[in-house]
Amino acid sequence: MVVKIRLARFGRVNEPFYNIVVAHARTARNSRPLEVIGTYDPIPKKDTYDPSGKLHKDIKLDTLRAKYWIGVGAQPTDVVWRLLSMVHAPRNLSVKNDQPGS
Amino acid sequence: MRQWMQEYGEQFREHRSEGPKYLDDYRPFPNNKLFASEPVLGEDSRETIWRKVVQEGEAIKSVSANFGVDMRRVAAVVRLKEVEKAWEREGKKLATPYARAVMSMLPKQRLSEGQEFEPINEIHVHSYTQQQLFLPTSESRHFTREDAAKAFGDNILPADKRVPHPELINLEKDVLSGKSVEEAKEAFEKAAMESEVAAARKEQKRLLHEEKHTTKVNASRFEFRFKDINVDDVGKDGRSRQGTGWRYGVPFYDRRRGEIKIPTKVE
Repeated sequence: MVVKIRLARFGRVNEPFYNIVVAHARTARNSRPLEVIGTYDPIPKKDTYDPSGKLHKDIKLDTLRAKYWIGVGAQPTDVVWRLLSMVHAPRNLSVKNDQPGS
Repeated sequence: MRQWMQEYGEQFREHRSEGPKYLDDYRPFPNNKLFASEPVLGEDSRETIWRKVVQEGEAIKSVSANFGVDMRRVAAVVRLKEVEKAWEREGKKLATPYARAVMSMLPKQRLSEGQEFEPINEIHVHSYTQQQLFLPTSESRHFTREDAAKAFGDNILPADKRVPHPELINLEKDVLSGKSVEEAKEAFEKAAMESEVAAARKEQKRLLHEEKHTTKVNASRFEFRFKDINVDDVGKDGRSRQGTGWRYGVPFYDRRRGEIKIPTKVE
């Protein structure tokens, strides 16, 4: 079965919060995953003492585990791919992208 | 009631004079004798606190000890005064008439050095120390507060370390040991400043550590902050509170009755 790195929605109505999880593709969204490798808070926040009012999003991620899971063939979903590609040089991660279907 | 309103209650219809006007002394609700309206810090007192801390550079602890105002209140006064001053600099209009009206209805206390505004050195009662405990010990043993703390739990600090102002204890000890009051006070101020500097340094260190483990990426409209975590924090059964993310198979009591839902701290 395909192992995916995907988001699992927690939080509340109008207050989303995601766990970044490694799970089998055919399991339910919020079922117990193989591993929780991070979180993604999609609600932009301001810094309290920053007068410029710039917004940021908080993500927690175990990069080592992410690399490991990708190395053993886990497939990130589009959203997770976008997040992961921000912290890594794309060439480290793009092995699978170069060889589609492998 | 109408009769009472015409005879006695007429004076309460409008608030005219300076200061509170309660039915009973300091008790705004006559049926609730347990509620007393405590005095608040007046405008000039708050200004004094701000001046001492910000302009004269005194430690918050020593200002707190000198005026007998709780440390947290001193910090809050300074923080709010800073906001007020910033607004004045920006040319924002302050709701002064409203503030004046509210202040005129409240009991106020002037600050003066050496006079206590509120108790400042109260120990928060840890729930572990509320249990009744019988500890057999030999009669000859010198049983100190440290031992008492250890008896209640492994991680309970003794009372001397849990007071907000441990420096005040040293001050009294210094005076008792024969130091002059001025000398002891000087030592106290120094210790207070040192503890404040140490706290600031610790916070700085924490921020640096966080900064070191955070990758910031500027993308589109937002900055994405990636914080490093370790998946092993969840523990062997995957249920530890130290773990990252929403926990599985554990109820989340954030909306339970009695749970505090408003923010309880400034970040």
